[in-house]
Amino acid sequence: MIEIDHLTKRYGGRLAVDDLTFNVSPGRVTGFLGPNGAGKSTTIRSILGLATPDGGRVVVNGKPYRSGETPLRIVGSLLDGNGFHPGRGARQHLDYLAASNGLPPRRVHEVLQLTGLTTVARRRVGTFSLGMKQRLGIAAALLGDPQILVLDEPTNGLDPEGILWLRGLLKERAADGGTVLVSSHLMTEMSLTADHLVVIGRGRLLADVSLADLVQAATGDQGDPRTLEDAYLHLTRGTEQFQAVDVPRPPAGDGR
Amino acid sequence: MNAFPLLLRAEWIKVRSLRSTYLMIALAVLVGLGVGLLYLTSTADAWATTLTARDRAAFDPVADAFSGFQFAELVLAALGVLIATSEYTTGTISATLTAAPRRLRVFAAKLAVLTTVALPICLACSFAAVLLGQQALHAVPDTAVHVGLGNAHVLRGIIGAGLYMTAVTLVGFGIGALLRHTPAALTLMFSLVFLAWPAARALEGFSYLPDRWLLVNAADALVATHATTGPNVPRTPSYAMAWVEIMIYVLVFVGLGAWRSSRDVPG
Repeated sequence: MIEIDHLTKRYGGRLAVDDLTFNVSPGRVTGFLGPNGAGKSTTIRSILGLATPDGGRVVVNGKPYRSGETPLRIVGSLLDGNGFHPGRGARQHLDYLAASNGLPPRRVHEVLQLTGLTTVARRRVGTFSLGMKQRLGIAAALLGDPQILVLDEPTNGLDPEGILWLRGLLKERAADGGTVLVSSHLMTEMSLTADHLVVIGRGRLLADVSLADLVQAATGDQGDPRTLEDAYLHLTRGTEQFQAVDVPRPPAGDGR
Repeated sequence: MNAFPLLLRAEWIKVRSLRSTYLMIALAVLVGLGVGLLYLTSTADAWATTLTARDRAAFDPVADAFSGFQFAELVLAALGVLIATSEYTTGTISATLTAAPRRLRVFAAKLAVLTTVALPICLACSFAAVLLGQQALHAVPDTAVHVGLGNAHVLRGIIGAGLYMTAVTLVGFGIGALLRHTPAALTLMFSLVFLAWPAARALEGFSYLPDRWLLVNAADALVATHATTGPNVPRTPSYAMAWVEIMIYVLVFVGLGAWRSSRDVPG
């Protein structure tokens, strides 16, 4: 169980998260959605004790993350933008994390197998593709066999086989009573993986509902079927920080 | 338990899993011993011919054996900088702190591992520099240059040089942890160790105090086996003061690094 209680986080003058309250309950996959810059990553960094809240509090299993002695056994996490030293081998990255939490070397071996990285375990991470780095990040999240998973954009760069595997893994963990929070921008993927959705925009809570209810609520007046994407776009309209603007193109044949 | 020994193991794995650690240590040993040896060899060759009586009197077979250390200390301080900054520049710090959220403990473990790596290497280098130096000076007819560990201030100078090199490594580490940015930290470290010297020179019209607080002049005071002579006298702190200064340098920069380490990493 993760409880986010009136969380506020400011960066300079900008409010990244604004009085945000929601819980992530065990037994289901909670999807965490919102436009770029909505505050998803800041919320996740606050859960993991990396960002100190300016207001409110965040607790994991009733305690602040930073009070934990061996957090990898309780929470497995994957952050946006990996966080590997390019000169270090994949196994060595997992070795140091395992050592810091007193996890047996066997676990490193197991998560490498689980994520399909055994054959490249000795390679330096700098030589990895985006998808391989993502697998290594997921391996690190699973290292302590935690009950809680907090994953920021875990499908980034994964191949279809990897996405399918991850989807199965998250559903299985939730079915076993685990708590799973996963952020994504891929609506199709979310509609296949998540049971529950938390949507934020400009640092504020926009929705905290089940997947079925969110899609239901977005159904049009004539009862025509809508997708999660429709519901999401409807919900977040006006909260986007970055929007594409049409730029007129010069007439064909004008340039040389 | 996320106890301290576990963090020490984790930091030890980190340090030994990077090729740059080995390369920088090898480079520091190579220039530290190599440059000193070249200097002593050419001094020995010139002893009876071009060296003046004053040059010969000023020559210190221990202090001058460390003439390569001014290059080695820069490499080691750069190693200290990189061990701190690379966590931030690569983003590894996020993984580290989610696994070990007590930030000051992580800092302390890293400091302890770096000290454990640097100290024996620096001490071994300073012993090797003097012992190899004696080989190079073997043919010099003046017996004053032939010294053993039992001679006055020789052992003291060797240990002083090793501890000084370790201290500079830790100052680099503190600066790296303070700035979290490799080029900025390297620039500050270079300025502190090298560029402060002409700046202090420029102030000599007003005071010799900045000179006496330079890391390099403190190092000179630690390794000298005979009294300083000539224009360097007012620039060199006393032996005891040199130790105090070096400890203050380490405490200030490691302290600043610890303070910054306890702060959030924007990400």
